[in-house]
Amino acid sequence: MNYFVKGNPDLCIGCRTCMIGCVVAHEGKHIFEVDPDSYSFNPKLHMVKTARLSVPVQCKHCENPACMAVCPAGAISQKDHCIVIDTDKCMGCKSCMDACPFGAINMTVQTGKFQADGSEKKVANKCDLCYGLPGGPACVRVCPTEALTLVTEEKLGEAMEHKRMEAARNTYRETHPQE
Amino acid sequence: MGIPEIEDAGCLLCFGYNGADSHPIVARRIVRGKQKGMKIICADPRVTETARISDIHLQLKGGSNLALVNAMANVIWNEGLADTRFIEEHTKGFDEFLKVIEKYTPEYAEPITHIPADEIRRAARMYATTKPAMILYGMGVCQFTQAVDVVKGLANLALMTGNFGGPSMGIGPVRGQNNVQGACDMGALPNSYPGYQNVTVPEIREKFEKAWGVPLSDQVGCPITHVPHRILHEKDEKKRIHAYYIFGEDPAQSDPDLAEVREALDKCDFVVMQDIYMNKTGLYADVILPATAWGENEGIYTCADRGFQRVRKLIEPEGDMRPDWKIIADISTAMGYPMNYRNTEEIWNEMIDLCPSFTGATYEKIEKYGGVQWPCRDKSMEDRGTPYLHKDGIFATKDHKALFYGTDWHPPVELENDQYPMTLSTVREVGHYSVRTMTGNCRTLRNLEDEPGWVQMNTQDCEKMRLKKGELVKILSKRGYCITRCLPTDRVKPGATYMTYQWWIGACNELTTAKLDPISNTPEYKYCACRVEKIQDQEWAERHVRELYDDIRAQMGIDTGKGAEA
Amino acid sequence: MALKQVQTTCAYCGAGCQIMFTVDTDANKIVEAVPADGRTNAGTLCLKGHYGWDYLNDPQILTKRLRKPMIRKGGKKSPLVEVSWEEAISYVAERLGEIKEKYGPDSIMGTGSARGAGNEANYLMQKFMRACIGTNNVDHCARI
Repeated sequence: MNYFVKGNPDLCIGCRTCMIGCVVAHEGKHIFEVDPDSYSFNPKLHMVKTARLSVPVQCKHCENPACMAVCPAGAISQKDHCIVIDTDKCMGCKSCMDACPFGAINMTVQTGKFQADGSEKKVANKCDLCYGLPGGPACVRVCPTEALTLVTEEKLGEAMEHKRMEAARNTYRETHPQE
Repeated sequence: MGIPEIEDAGCLLCFGYNGADSHPIVARRIVRGKQKGMKIICADPRVTETARISDIHLQLKGGSNLALVNAMANVIWNEGLADTRFIEEHTKGFDEFLKVIEKYTPEYAEPITHIPADEIRRAARMYATTKPAMILYGMGVCQFTQAVDVVKGLANLALMTGNFGGPSMGIGPVRGQNNVQGACDMGALPNSYPGYQNVTVPEIREKFEKAWGVPLSDQVGCPITHVPHRILHEKDEKKRIHAYYIFGEDPAQSDPDLAEVREALDKCDFVVMQDIYMNKTGLYADVILPATAWGENEGIYTCADRGFQRVRKLIEPEGDMRPDWKIIADISTAMGYPMNYRNTEEIWNEMIDLCPSFTGATYEKIEKYGGVQWPCRDKSMEDRGTPYLHKDGIFATKDHKALFYGTDWHPPVELENDQYPMTLSTVREVGHYSVRTMTGNCRTLRNLEDEPGWVQMNTQDCEKMRLKKGELVKILSKRGYCITRCLPTDRVKPGATYMTYQWWIGACNELTTAKLDPISNTPEYKYCACRVEKIQDQEWAERHVRELYDDIRAQMGIDTGKGAEA
Repeated sequence: MALKQVQTTCAYCGAGCQIMFTVDTDANKIVEAVPADGRTNAGTLCLKGHYGWDYLNDPQILTKRLRKPMIRKGGKKSPLVEVSWEEAISYVAERLGEIKEKYGPDSIMGTGSARGAGNEANYLMQKFMRACIGTNNVDHCARI
């Protein structure tokens, strides 16, 4: 099963430390020494704030990903427990953006690579669970309120078990209201 | 109280304090408290992150703070929820206070605060009956012309419910900047020497005269917010400010009514600026003295809960900068008052011996324990400081009793009118600090948020004006105008706007009023009348903003490479 | 590369978070910042704590780092000219002295700083204004 990062709006304070953490993890520490306009600042998760909700939204790493199904370039694939985009193969058609039901994909400039018309290459961008990077998803590590968790098969199993127990207890209470 | 105690309160009344943007690591304690079952009452005109997770959100009309606080006191008394024993044993002035709050029934406060009377009742009951109850307040209380009265009003609530003298209770101002508490502790105040010792008390003055070897003035000095007036309009030449030595501040960006500040700096005979980066004030300085920055020098800061902590040198300064203390000492010596210190610890040792509340807070102790919360009176290693004040209801007054202090609510100075039908309040941007000469020079923080900033407006107001997210708008008050981006949001009420103060182009202090609280001399940053105008030609506006940004950066000594675009 | 670790207090906001920095002493630069277990922050940091230190290497983004004392030798509006510390200190001392002589000590205003300078520098600033200049005209941006 694929993993995913889940945000808890009860804990999130909307500070966006996660968004910078994401960029630092993917671009590397050299961004603290170079011109900030010389690379593309593209967090792979997005802070959403409504009237009563703050939470970052990112890729769910679906088991049957719509993005992967529609990609004509075969640039989206499953690796270990996540869905990743091969930006070298990406042709920038935006089909995946259109297909994703969560708005988790955006288009970004790939620094230092160019398209046929000479402009900087634009590719699809989304959460890759920090695939290949040490320490697991950076957003989870840097969040000051522990609002983000990496949901693994094991954690999901435990949560489901817990929910089933609660459901069973509630059913018992419904049928035995006096006890 | 200390920051770690917040999460163990039974009830938190969070008043005009938006921790998520001003102190995320304090906001973390509020979130943890909520997880542990703490009840939260949040009084704020906006849906802040704390309001979002609160049990009761009192979304009051800006500028109605004291009406709400007095109404809560009224309910607590009339419903018999007050701690009469605590009032009897530890306080004075309660009867006079009752006379003031008598008329503040929830029904009386409802039309002023725009909060239903029953909501006020519910909040007052929750605060009075859930123990221990803590109050945190921020600039949403302090930056009004009626500010000190509200602080006293909040203290009244804590006093009448006996919420003083134990852990996780009391009232806490959450100080904004890293060392604003420290600057106060050290007597960078016109009315007190270090350690909150008043300049007008003869015995205290004599102590400092003896220690410093010179006669000292017995007159309270000029507050910073009076400086423009004292330069521009003071008739008495002896009181008129002719020289302004500005150290680690940027009044030409941070102070209200910037047009007036610029005129004052321009007219002041001699302006010295001592700082780490070029800033707006530097454009008016006659002399610029380059100082070492955080990370390049040693010292001690005081955090918001009175905690002295060490700040250490990380790297060597690259250039001809000197530590602030060294520069000041050298000028003093050159003026005939020698100051000879080899390091910060020598300065610290002189200071603590003059301040009874700090005497025990030695470098050794701060190093060993990681920090010391004052008061810390004894140098022995056993005195580790004071996590919370007024232990057992013993207050720092002569008779150890706290004083109730009731006043009537009055509205803000500049109200909405035909020409300026909306209100403006200044707020904080989480990723930027003060005038942003530091964070604006941090690459990733700059990339997260940059000029010209945002004006938060209610979605209905935006729809009426056909404004979309990100669109550039012009915002005006009777003092000036600026350009910023529109951020439609349902977290603010119709008719209200909010801007953050660190932008050069979206500079909300071009708009703010310099009207002050009569006691604290803090400006009414949280309320003035304004108007928002749509800009039809967005292409022009975008180009204009880019040009302005390049121009100002060029003035600040940055090679923008292109100059102003055509 | 010689690395050392230094714990310090964050430069931003009043929360007083503790940060552990790894510093490359040969290159004289910060390599990494991680949260330390301080009394108030308990091993956590916000975005400014995590990522708010690289202004120290003068990135030429917003404003220029001040590295040399400067004086407007031609009066107001004239360009700033770099000078030696000796010249800057004696110029400031001389001008402040003249103004004090002519208009009295209360015609001079000084500020403390609620930011990087620290408590010791604030103590000296108020001592300078009170003992050397002779006025209580000293305040800082607590009101701002």
